[in-house]
Amino acid sequence: MLILTRKLGEKINIGDDISVTLLEIKGAQVKIGIQAPKSIGIHRNEIYEKIREENLGSSNISDSDLSKAATLL
Amino acid sequence: MKIETTRFGTISIKKEKIIDMPFGMLGFPDKKKFIILQHRENSPFFWYQSADDPTIAFVITSPFLFKPDYKVDIEDALKEMSWNGDGKTDHLETYIVVNIPKGLPEKMTGNFIGPILINNKVRQAVQIVISNSPYIHNFPLLSV
Repeated sequence: MLILTRKLGEKINIGDDISVTLLEIKGAQVKIGIQAPKSIGIHRNEIYEKIREENLGSSNISDSDLSKAATLL
Repeated sequence: MKIETTRFGTISIKKEKIIDMPFGMLGFPDKKKFIILQHRENSPFFWYQSADDPTIAFVITSPFLFKPDYKVDIEDALKEMSWNGDGKTDHLETYIVVNIPKGLPEKMTGNFIGPILINNKVRQAVQIVISNSPYIHNFPLLSV
């Protein structure tokens, strides 16, 4: 992992069209601004992981479990 | 055209029925073509079958059956997908991804923070991420 030290307001460029700016530091919280093309998904990791896991689980549902579930509703 | 699936065998389907997902599903970025198959008659569920990969099928359902007042801010999605042509949204359908722990159908949940929006006009879909909402990723679909 590349580790860089930045001061408030400074930027990091990733490739030609992505930039990350350190906007605010407040105790243990930092606010960062990200500029990137619309085609690049930017998500908080914990939310992204939850959705990814739900997708993965959903792709492993058996027909028999689904049929039982349908009768319960 | 014909689509191979491991669950349903070979399916014949009209080309216009195929839904294009330019960014794929989260965690499955390279599966970009899908079809919707009703699970069975009177079932609220649908299979969201990949047309690229026979083994991949998600289970989806309408969020409104479980949360009639479910509301998604779709402005960002519309912009992202360049769907805001006429400003109308009546051709948009919303689905949520369903999860069932193996052998425990009564524990089925719906993911209300990662809905799939389908634009029936252009046959395109996107899975959006909802942050800062009252919804959760594992909402029990069976009320106790």
